Amino acid sequence: MLALFHNFFAPPRHIVLLILAIWIGLLVAEKRAERHALSKDDLNNLVFYSLLSYILGGRIFYVLENFSAFSKSPLSVFSINLNLFDLSGALITAALALLIFIQRKKLFLWSTLDALMPFFALLIIGIELSHLAAGTAFGTPSDLPWAVELWNARRHPLQLYNLSASLLIFGWLWFKKQNQPSGILFLNLSAVTAAYLLFISAFQADQNVILNGVKSNQIIALIALIISFILFEIRLRPTKA
Amino acid sequence: MNLTQRIILYALVLISGIAWIILSADFSKNTPAAQTSAPQAGFSAPDFTLKTPAGESYTLSELKGKAVLVNLWATWCPPCRAEMPAIQEIYDEYKAQGFIVLAINMTAQDNPLEIAPFLNKYNLNFPVLLDETGETGKAYQLRSLPSSFFIDRAGIISEVVIGGPMAEALLRTRVEEILK
Repeated sequence: MLALFHNFFAPPRHIVLLILAIWIGLLVAEKRAERHALSKDDLNNLVFYSLLSYILGGRIFYVLENFSAFSKSPLSVFSINLNLFDLSGALITAALALLIFIQRKKLFLWSTLDALMPFFALLIIGIELSHLAAGTAFGTPSDLPWAVELWNARRHPLQLYNLSASLLIFGWLWFKKQNQPSGILFLNLSAVTAAYLLFISAFQADQNVILNGVKSNQIIALIALIISFILFEIRLRPTKA
Repeated sequence: MNLTQRIILYALVLISGIAWIILSADFSKNTPAAQTSAPQAGFSAPDFTLKTPAGESYTLSELKGKAVLVNLWATWCPPCRAEMPAIQEIYDEYKAQGFIVLAINMTAQDNPLEIAPFLNKYNLNFPVLLDETGETGKAYQLRSLPSSFFIDRAGIISEVVIGGPMAEALLRTRVEEILK
């Protein structure tokens, strides 16, 4: 079953899984958008502009970082290679596009983020599926009975751990009673995902290490967790009468 | 949950998180992946010995100290054809700095009679090797053509690019990376 999945969605076809996740995420988010005071049109436009900014921003930042390489072959700017991409530049541009859209449409940030929660949660599932297909974000060697053979070693099935966790988190948040201040639903997703990644990234083999051995993904997850906790308190703070 | 309970919860989670980060850190500076051979970034590139159509033999492990681009291709594959001129250009530009291209033809899936005309048509002068048994393709877990493996001077795969054609700027940035 897993081998069939690997063959069917081997790179570069694993990108299909991400596109599917975006599409399903948008469909699912549409179902509850109006509960969070966001129209279906605004939701679709918001996702469209953010994705467009993500793609353009990722390429523009990459070109700027490697300007000398592109100055020798300017047509490479329009290449379909996915590797010519700067992830942090893409995320910054997409976040800016999202904030500008929210401001121009006079939407409320926190309820918009709540409306986007199913989209983000399903996107995380899509990312985990694409890692599973590509064999990336793989686990450290292990002799546990459920270890899987990958890259010539028996390893923690990290992609399966991550996929199961992301499905559980989506299910929990989808069925959770939503009687809390706006923003709490989104912050639940970010805090639980960060806490989970802080734990599980200890078993991820392909990641950078900092400070002579500390895993960088755990530090990023810890920072995300601290920010989530601070934002929780801001959202839960009683408003003055 | 009131404020005090929440603060206790945050503190517990953060203290456990920091403890776990320290406990799970690997201070041994081991990079076990680099000692294992696999066709994936961070691993030692699977070794092979293959011959050119002229009979000259190349062994990947003997090229340690050089930056290597292993490119798996076939004459019938349009993106393979499309990226060959860019590969040739980059090879010409960087070969003096210790860069070499090993273009492995998937001969088991190709028509051997079309290889020589292909090399002449694109005026390729980097080593083109023949994988007649399909063993090297198998070792590199070939699923899609072209597939390119950028290997640094220590023999470790720096990046894998599946599919193509690769843009010249992509080749240039990756080659400069593995030449460092």
